[in-house]
Amino acid sequence: MALLPQNLSFSRRILPIIALVGLAFAVFFIWRGLPDRSLSEPDQEPARATGALANSSRVAGAGLVEPSSEIIDIGTALSGLVTDLRVQPGDYVTKGQPLFTVDDRAARARIGETNAAIGEARAAIAEAQTAQRTAEAQLALYRSVEDSAAVSRSEVIKAEGDASSARSRLQLARARLAAAQAALSSARTELGRLTIRAPITGEILAVNIRPGEFVSTMGGNSQPFIRMGETRPLYIRIDIDESEAPRIKLGAPALVSPRGAADRQVNAEFVRAEPLVVPKTSLTNSASERVDVRVLQVLYQLPADAEGAEQLFRVGQQVDAFIPAVDGENNGGGKTQETAE
Amino acid sequence: MLWIAIRMLTGDRQKFYGLLFGIAFSTLLITQQLTIFVNLLERGASGVYNVSSADVWVMDPVSRTSDVAYAMPSTALDQVRGVAGVEWAVPHIRGQASVRTKDGDLEGVAIIGVDDATLIGLPKGMIEGSTDVLSQPDSVIIDDVGAARMFPGASPMGERLELNDQRAVVRGIADAIPSFTSTVVLYTKYSQALRYVPGTRNRLSFVLVGAADGISAKELTERIEKQTGLKAETRDEFAQGGVNFIIENTGIPLNFGITVLLGFIVGVAIVGLTFSLFIRDNIKQFGALKAIGVTNGKIAQMVAIQAGMVGMIGYGLGVLGTVGFISAFSNNPTFKGFYIPWQIPLISFAAMVLIITLTGWVALRGVMKTEPAAVFR
Repeated sequence: MALLPQNLSFSRRILPIIALVGLAFAVFFIWRGLPDRSLSEPDQEPARATGALANSSRVAGAGLVEPSSEIIDIGTALSGLVTDLRVQPGDYVTKGQPLFTVDDRAARARIGETNAAIGEARAAIAEAQTAQRTAEAQLALYRSVEDSAAVSRSEVIKAEGDASSARSRLQLARARLAAAQAALSSARTELGRLTIRAPITGEILAVNIRPGEFVSTMGGNSQPFIRMGETRPLYIRIDIDESEAPRIKLGAPALVSPRGAADRQVNAEFVRAEPLVVPKTSLTNSASERVDVRVLQVLYQLPADAEGAEQLFRVGQQVDAFIPAVDGENNGGGKTQETAE
Repeated sequence: MLWIAIRMLTGDRQKFYGLLFGIAFSTLLITQQLTIFVNLLERGASGVYNVSSADVWVMDPVSRTSDVAYAMPSTALDQVRGVAGVEWAVPHIRGQASVRTKDGDLEGVAIIGVDDATLIGLPKGMIEGSTDVLSQPDSVIIDDVGAARMFPGASPMGERLELNDQRAVVRGIADAIPSFTSTVVLYTKYSQALRYVPGTRNRLSFVLVGAADGISAKELTERIEKQTGLKAETRDEFAQGGVNFIIENTGIPLNFGITVLLGFIVGVAIVGLTFSLFIRDNIKQFGALKAIGVTNGKIAQMVAIQAGMVGMIGYGLGVLGTVGFISAFSNNPTFKGFYIPWQIPLISFAAMVLIITLTGWVALRGVMKTEPAAVFR
């Protein structure tokens, strides 16, 4: 054992140390290199059922915010150019308020025309009345002559004819006046139809026309001219998969949150369930689109006084909703939960 | 006395280093091959592990892995959300698409659409850019390995791609483990992904679910399956499913199994032959030791310490070699995310102990029978 520190043996001393240090390093490396597979909480709050719904049976659905009147696509009664636009998106209009006017020059010209026709008819009446009076006077004169030889029979007949024809002309002129007045009224109606008015009190949601554009009664434009609806209050139309529909507890309030602000939930009051189950609208743009999912649409009313609801919910926005389910019915789901708890 | 054993061992340098080499080499072979084998298999689970916040994956009953999935109707999301114990559920789409690069090349890519509002489904880390870029129109985030493949030597940031006739702009690079096929992965929002993936009627590939407090993921999967009729798997189950898919559908387990076996055989052969030769050469010395009255037990101890020292040094160097190999290639995209599972060094250690004891025991039998007179022969 005469091994002195100065003649250090590589094989006996250094190599084992290298091996041990190497092992320690390897352990460290392996420990450091193990992949991080821990579960993490999502950064942003996902939509989740809170409160009493958090751990009880429920039905979830996605929906759209809509006006309580549903969206009204304003049409036009007459085709023509838009001359004046009186509203802009966001305006709150009352029933009957003008929204826009269509070019009314033709209608106004017709009014002028019919006014002229009325004047003409009135003049014709005056003229006919004069003629009638003359003829009547002439006839009265002939009739007052007692000597039958003084006036020939034919003269009398002619005077009678004149009087009768003057009466007819007066009647004709009166009829013309009535016709012209009717035409005026019709022209005025047409003028009125060229001003499009709000059918209900509500908010203007979209305006897709500008002055100078042509609006047609045939549609033509793919977009509706003006979209409006009663936004006080707002409704929410929630699509429920038909297979989930029997579980839903109708009448119970729903917990609703808009996309992107899942932490701000509000309670929405039940309004009604649509009697018609409709195909789910899925926007795949596929030519051979088929539908096998049908949805029950349930309407809920957003509370008007919800804090910041004005900013939170807008028409057309997507929302996530949670609705209480009927307990422990039809598919055992509820029962398992009860036993699990 | 034991020090004598070590001096005996290191006396003949050639034999000593031969022994070390044999052990280190077979350790290296077994450890390194097992490591690559395990990592390759776990590539099948990378799609699952890249999503860090989902406890449970819900899919169509026929779906098998994160890449072999059959789409569900979009109302499946609401069905899952309706299950008690589901804290949150978000849609997740995984689809294949062809992308046209600026040069006009066509490249198959995987499109992953994550929930629009919460971005759940993105990998945990970003190499460049932030996840907020997805709020910009037509944004996609590319995975780092895909970026290196698709834009070799250039930064992919700001590159324009054409996907299903739609524009896509790369605005971020995600730190993700590549899939088994190393397909380029583009992450985008769910609504955007619907436009990028050529359309079929049903698009929703998965629903990612977070379990509420107080319910285990396993329990939740049973509840979801019972209530919705869909297939639900916990994260680990689904990751294992991806691994099993590769085992069932590729020749990897067989090929690597053979390599590991060869490493073992080579190790046994080299170590066994050298060790028994070494013992045989030293049989005179053992004989002399016996002649001066050293017991068989003491000699067994000596052989054991010799074997232990050779084994320890060889094993240490072998593991160090594996570590060096993995760390040297860690920047290579092919080896991205490779790690040494802690079980593997233990397995190779066990194999090493087995080899050493086996050969030591065989060699020792000769020594035990040696008569002290052997020193005179």
